[in-house]
Amino acid sequence: MNIWEKMLNLDRRWIFLLIGIACVVPFFTPLGLPILPSEEVISIYDYIEELGPDNAIFVGFDFDPGTAAENQPMGIAVLRHAFSRNIPVFITAVTPMGQGLAAMAIDELTDETRADFFSFVSWSEWSAIRDQGITERAEIEEAWIAEGNLLPERSRGFIFEGRDFAHLGYLPVFNLVILGMSTSIVSQYPTDVAGNSVEEMPMYQEHKSLREIDLAVTNAGSAACTWWIIYGREKIGLPVAFGVTAVMATDYYIYIQSGQIIGQMGGLRGAAEYEVLLLDNDYTSEPGKAFIGMDVQNIAHLLIIFLVILGNIAFFAGGFNKKTKLKGRR
Amino acid sequence: MKRSIPLAIVMVGGILFIIQYFIPHQHSQTLFDYYTEWAPIVGAFALVLGVGSLSRLHSHKIKRKAKNWQYSYAVLIPLFAVPFFALLMPESLGGGLMESMGGTRTTQGVFDFAYLNVQIPIQSTMFSLLAFYIASAAFRAFRAKSALATVLLLAAIIVMLGQVPIGELIGKWFPKIGLWILRYPNLGAKRAIGLGVGFGILATQLKIIFGVERNWLGGAGE
Amino acid sequence: MTETIGLWVAALFTIGIYSFLYKENPLYRLAEHLVIGISLGYFIVISYMRVLEPRLIEPISNGEQGAWLLLIPAILGILYITRFFPKVAWLSRYPMAFLMGAGMGVGFPLSMKAQVLRQLEASLIPLYKTGMSWEIVLGNVVMVLGTLAALIYFFFSKPHKGLFFGTGSKIGIWVIMVGFGATFGFTVMGRISLLIGRIQFLLGDWLHIIK
Repeated sequence: MNIWEKMLNLDRRWIFLLIGIACVVPFFTPLGLPILPSEEVISIYDYIEELGPDNAIFVGFDFDPGTAAENQPMGIAVLRHAFSRNIPVFITAVTPMGQGLAAMAIDELTDETRADFFSFVSWSEWSAIRDQGITERAEIEEAWIAEGNLLPERSRGFIFEGRDFAHLGYLPVFNLVILGMSTSIVSQYPTDVAGNSVEEMPMYQEHKSLREIDLAVTNAGSAACTWWIIYGREKIGLPVAFGVTAVMATDYYIYIQSGQIIGQMGGLRGAAEYEVLLLDNDYTSEPGKAFIGMDVQNIAHLLIIFLVILGNIAFFAGGFNKKTKLKGRR
Repeated sequence: MKRSIPLAIVMVGGILFIIQYFIPHQHSQTLFDYYTEWAPIVGAFALVLGVGSLSRLHSHKIKRKAKNWQYSYAVLIPLFAVPFFALLMPESLGGGLMESMGGTRTTQGVFDFAYLNVQIPIQSTMFSLLAFYIASAAFRAFRAKSALATVLLLAAIIVMLGQVPIGELIGKWFPKIGLWILRYPNLGAKRAIGLGVGFGILATQLKIIFGVERNWLGGAGE
Repeated sequence: MTETIGLWVAALFTIGIYSFLYKENPLYRLAEHLVIGISLGYFIVISYMRVLEPRLIEPISNGEQGAWLLLIPAILGILYITRFFPKVAWLSRYPMAFLMGAGMGVGFPLSMKAQVLRQLEASLIPLYKTGMSWEIVLGNVVMVLGTLAALIYFFFSKPHKGLFFGTGSKIGIWVIMVGFGATFGFTVMGRISLLIGRIQFLLGDWLHIIK
């Protein structure tokens, strides 16, 4: 067995160890290299930047925990952007697990121990204000503060359940649900996940069907994201944006070029780009999880490329492409 | 009754709703609204199939003391315990739905606990194992054996370097070429594949509507 | 307290699954089975909470107007259960037929628009406009010809010979390889990202040694 053969027969657990180290060590020696946002992501950011309290968007947590490392930061980044601009957000999920992940995202954004949190006001807490007939965003906040609720010092603002967001959760056969919501949102979601009546929510009163929605951002780990194009965009002209896993991202450039989606966040890089835009525009004071993760990604990519090249050198130098058959464990 | 009526339902439903698209009259719209309202209710019951076959499979395994039968309890117990505890402590109905679902951050029910601390870590860790396998495959399997394979590898390396910030340090043009590959040649290839898939979907839809494709009937008797 | 225990349980499972990389072991097998049971159990609860309770049980028990009509989808849904009784298993075809036929019908014109017509339309673009940089012009040429060539490659009804089919399919396979290369590059990125996510959990949420 010559050296090349020995090398190619290396126990694969050594390679496992190598990639493990390459993904751990950089956390302690950050490179801090800048990430430049691409047009595909900037276009989503700019679109949301134009919206305000009179508009409304859908954010889909259309993934399972398996791809949450990529999709969750996208969902959180878009929610943060919308909450900061007081854009009402309807949150949905194509899978049951997605419903829980969406709730986790809301919890993370409203966690008072974290930087740049939002102060969460539940549906029942501001019922007295609703009873007075106040439904306008600015007036609700004014009345809430007048009741003696001061905005905590480090908080980025209040978010009122039913005015700023509604967590609608999961429904099966979601393609048909999208179609149903083109007539009426409440026909599909009579209540939110906590059991509150969606019909009574001011944000629903102002946006009763998908036709009155300005954008749907689907953060997806499966081809279910295309349902938003097929059943939303093509049926009623709903603007759609994608946040997809890296594995799927290359397939969906066709929808960007055809104008069927306004933009796409592809994988952790896409999420990191959105986080950079939020950081640069003072929507957060700290880089997000995806941005930090991309720093680690640098070394891992270099290692993989090194392994490909090394494997090929050993393969050709050992002459395995021609005559000698490689023996041993593979 | 066993085959013809379901096939007829499919055909009538299919044709009706294709027509509905072109003639969105008020009556057809009402029908459409009923359909979209009812479909998720019917769809939710499909879960019965999953629960039924999984419990049958694993209870058989336990009964027959098949290989690794003990692990079947790890499927069956949570399958019924999770809904049971959700029923018992509905206020903790979470899956991370703590505050945003009416719970509080400090009280975690069994339901939350199973979701947050067992389901999420297991599922995401299992997916992440693929990182190790792709690294191993990079070393052992990706060979530039032919011109075509070399092109594939080169495109992959450029795109990989283009996506990470360090790529730009190595060569300023990596991100640019990486994006160019994604936006043009990649797009051309994916569009051709997409069109193929698109036509395939349309053909399958028509075949099902007109009863040419009947596999979905399954083996439930003639 | 529960939160701390939870973190340790989560960490135990995470490490337990990674131990599979060294050798297959009982903890991995346990995790593998647990995940199926819990996810289906979760599915039951969420389906009940989001569909059956608010959209079926409540409207009927509150006596809402026209709610009795909901018994139709309910009965259809219940028919799924017949699948487990061979003599009446054929009844389970009814709910499937209900979902499938109309589902295909509503989907057909929309899929045609989204996945075929719009895509064809987007391929018919001017290759050059004043002010376009050379790399965009080159890109447009590659994209449009690439689409055509890759389509020829997938067209198996004609032998791949001659100028059009022969050369076309040859160019097609090159374009497809570049596309697959891009996908491979992105797949590597995606898989690594998932691993990074777990390491962030272990080192950050669990051990608090990174931010």
